[in-house]
Order: sequence, then structure tokens, then C-alpha cells
Amino acid sequence: MLLTLEQFAEACNTNARLRQMNRDWSRTIAILPTDRPEVFWLTSKEGFIQAGQGPVNAADLQIRADHDIIVAVFSGTLSPTEPYNAGDLLVKGSQDDLMRLDIITLLIWGE
Amino acid sequence: MATRQVLPLRTAVSTSAGLASAAINFLACVEVAEYAGGSSAWIALLVAGGLIVFSASNFAELSGLYPSAAAIRVWTRKGLNDRLSLIISLVYASTVVFVIAADAFVLAQAFHAAVPAVPGWLWIVVLLGTIAWANLRGIRVSGKIQDINGAVLLMTLIVISLIILGKTSWPDPSQFFHIGGGTFQAIALGVFIYVGFEWVTPLAEEFDDARAISRGMYIALGLIAVAFGLFTMALTAIFPHIKALESTMVPQLIVGQKALGIVGFWWMVLITMTTAMTTFNGGLFTASRFVYALAREKALPRRMAHLNKHWVPANALLLLAGLSLILALGVMATGQYTVLINAGAGVEGLVYALSAWLVFSLRKREASKPRPFRALGVPWIALGVGAVFLLLGLGALLTTTAGGIPAALIFVVILTAVMTGYVWFIVPRLKSVKSSNSAVKAEPEETIK
Repeated sequence: MLLTLEQFAEACNTNARLRQMNRDWSRTIAILPTDRPEVFWLTSKEGFIQAGQGPVNAADLQIRADHDIIVAVFSGTLSPTEPYNAGDLLVKGSQDDLMRLDIITLLIWGE
Repeated sequence: MATRQVLPLRTAVSTSAGLASAAINFLACVEVAEYAGGSSAWIALLVAGGLIVFSASNFAELSGLYPSAAAIRVWTRKGLNDRLSLIISLVYASTVVFVIAADAFVLAQAFHAAVPAVPGWLWIVVLLGTIAWANLRGIRVSGKIQDINGAVLLMTLIVISLIILGKTSWPDPSQFFHIGGGTFQAIALGVFIYVGFEWVTPLAEEFDDARAISRGMYIALGLIAVAFGLFTMALTAIFPHIKALESTMVPQLIVGQKALGIVGFWWMVLITMTTAMTTFNGGLFTASRFVYALAREKALPRRMAHLNKHWVPANALLLLAGLSLILALGVMATGQYTVLINAGAGVEGLVYALSAWLVFSLRKREASKPRPFRALGVPWIALGVGAVFLLLGLGALLTTTAGGIPAALIFVVILTAVMTGYVWFIVPRLKSVKSSNSAVKAEPEETIK
């Protein structure tokens, strides 16, 4: 999963318009696979996204789903809205941040 | 693990109470009083509120089980199936359009009474247009202003109603406990006063404590029952003869004037405006994001997922505002506002019945999933109350208009048939269209500042 998240971060960072869009969006996102004991994270700071693995003290947004769903969402094979509307991807945090994440995936991979 | 931004219980209360307290509630109170036969209208509101407590506990369990902004879409998908879920979600979301249209009508009536030189339809166009424009620009009424507005409305209703009840001579005590032939209809329409209390559940993701939703809904229901119950009593004190109520299109202004004179009149004009505009704002914001989410899962045309340069789903918002405007102008032209009240009460009654079934079904299907809150009286009492809501919903839909036509039933049946046809025939085509990697087309017109 870490590789998928790193590739996602790289796709964001190489997209100039996304960097511009995210330059004032500083967030820590905890990613918690429900079927594994691991914890991953993404951070957004000054337009750049970083990915990593390990505990997070205070996340702005928590994303919980099965490992396979998280990988599918962050690799662009599944729109986050689909598992979200099906109740298979749960989020804790602001709806504005969730929508921003959805838009990021939309800008990288399209529909 | 803590999340940094969390909402307090106060926001759960104000959101639940604020969304339920639409301006159309003033006219709904008149209708409840008419059916109840006058001073005993409070019984209908109390019974409706008591039943809704069970429904609130169902929503609290479902929201704790699946805390999601997609709320009813998720619960019905898990408890029923995808197609039914989509039909129910679309019909349910359309009640937002009913309420916006009904509030626009009430607002026009109030403004026309205050400034007769300006026709009511012009107020509808200007005020709905202003809120739609502000939303398109990404300008939102902040949560704090909505909190204050909700609190001021409820406090105003309580205070002016108490003043009226203090001033007016009370009817014979037996009239307060009169149960007439229209009591069932009065209870069914009493449900409408509380409609929207559950629209706080899509915010579940933003509360750190999952129990805040249930507590917030219960407190809000209590406040609504007291404020609108007193308002209805004040109305029946002013109009002891029920027939006189039928021609009242601005009951809140009359109550305000009777309580505090001209100051009370204008204060209630202001309260009507802020309440209606809060409903427009909250309704358009929530429903446009719902339409956006459905477009993203290809259940609606992709153009509904278009974002403007302010990151607002502009087409979805314009569609909803346009539908609300057409409906409001139609109601203005025909004067058939009760159709919207009956349709709204009917759909919500059916959804409250459904909530009992979903809790029952998901307790079986997903017995081991953690539930921060467990609904009251499951299974038998909850299902019994669900059955009552089913009857109340049907009762509201079957309420006839002046010509003896069940217009609300016809309206909701046509709406449901259209949605069913859409979900059966159009959605599969939309979903089968191969995705084009159209990031550029999907991109907003400009990036955010």
C-alpha cells in the first residue's frame, strides 16, 4: 500500500495545477486499513503531498476501508465516491476536506 | 487517534432544530390546528413528536453504524439494494426542493403583506436568486449564523406565544383535550413540523463523539415541540373560530403583531426572511453536494459533477434552484401550498417507517458491527411505530385539496414513477458508458485561490 500512496503523492506533485490548488491546504490524512493492523498517512503542505507509514498523532481526516479498496482508490482504478456511497469507505473529518480529496483523484485520473 | 477539527453538541442541536424550523412550519401549524379542531392541536404535535423520538433513535443507530454524508444512500444500500436505495434517495432528496419551494411561497406572502406594492413572485425570484448566486460564488452562511438564527427563531416563538397566551382569555379547558374526527390527519401533518430534524446525520463524520448526533436530535425535538406547540396554541387563542384560520397566509405576522404591535409584525417579517433564507442556503448546499456525489458514481449525468471556479457543483445547484423556483411559482399561481406540506409530510412519514425497517434489517445482516447508539424498542415497539408512520405517511398523502383530489398522493406517485423509470432505464446506460480519462474536461474552470 505504501508504494501506491507514494505513487499517488508523486502524481499530485508533478501536476502543476494541483500544486497550485493545494498550496494553502495543509492537512494530515490518516489511512487505516480495517483488515490490517497498519497505519499509513498522507500530508499536504504548501502544495506538496507526502506519503508514509506509521502512527499519526492528530489527523485532520481519517479514512477507513479494506486494504484492497484503499489501494484501488489511490491507484485510480476506483472512484472514491463509489465505495463511499456504498458505506465501504468511511471518513472522519471535514466534508470540505473529503470533497477536496475527491477532486484531487478526479484531476489526476478523470472519471 | 484524535481528529483535529470536531463539532460540538451545540452544533448538532442547532443544525437539527434549524433545518426542521422552516418558514412553512407556520402554515403547517395552521393546518394542524384546522384538522385538530382548534385548541387541542398541541395533542397532535405532542403525539407526532413522541413518535418521532423513536424515529430519531433509529436515525441515531444508523448514523452511528455508518457515519457518512451520504447517509440514507448508504443505509438503504446496505439494508435493501442499490436500485431501491437510489430511488428512495432521489425521492427523499426531492423533499428538499419541496421545502425550499414552500418556504419561498411563505416568504413571498410575508413580504407582500409587509410591502404590498411589490408582487410576491418578484420576492421569490429575487431572494431565491440571491441565495443561488451567493452559493455559486462559494459564499456560505456560516454555521455560527445558522446557529444564531435557529436559536432566535425558537426563542421568538416561545416569547411571543407566551405573551399572547398571557393577554388572551383562555377557552373552556375541555377544548384543550378535544379529540375530533381530524385528529389522525392532524398528527400526520404534525410530523411535518419536525421534518428535517434528521438532516443533521450527514454531518456525523464531523463529530468526534458519535452520541452527539442522537443527543442533538433529542434536544432539538424538544425545543421544536415547545416552540411550535406554543405558537399553535397562541394561534388558536387568537382565532377561536377555526374557519377564520383558513384564510390566514401570514399567521406568524399576525401573532407577532398581536403580541408586540408593529414591532412584533416587522420582527416576524425579519424572522421569516432569515428562516427562509437559511432553509434555501442549507437546502441548496446539502442537496447540490448530494447530486454531485450521485453524478460522480454515474447515477446522474456527468455534467452534474461539473465544478465552477469556486469549486461549487454549479450545474447541480442551478438545477435545484431552478426546480425550486418553478415549483414555488407554480404554488404561488395556484395557491396550493398544502400540496407541498402534505407531500413533504407523506414522504417523510414513509422514510421514518423505513428507518425502523432498516434498523431491524441491519441488526440481522450486520449483527457484529459496533453500534455507538442502539435504537429504542427494537424490534417490536420500533416496528410498531414504523407501521404507525407508514399509516401517517399515507394519511398525509391521501389528504385532499379543495376539489376533493389527493393532489399530494398524485404528485408523489408521479415523482416516484419518474425516479423508478430513471433508475431502471437511464442509470444502467450512464454506468455502461466507458470512462474517458477526461481530467481536463472534469477540471474546474480555474483553480482555487
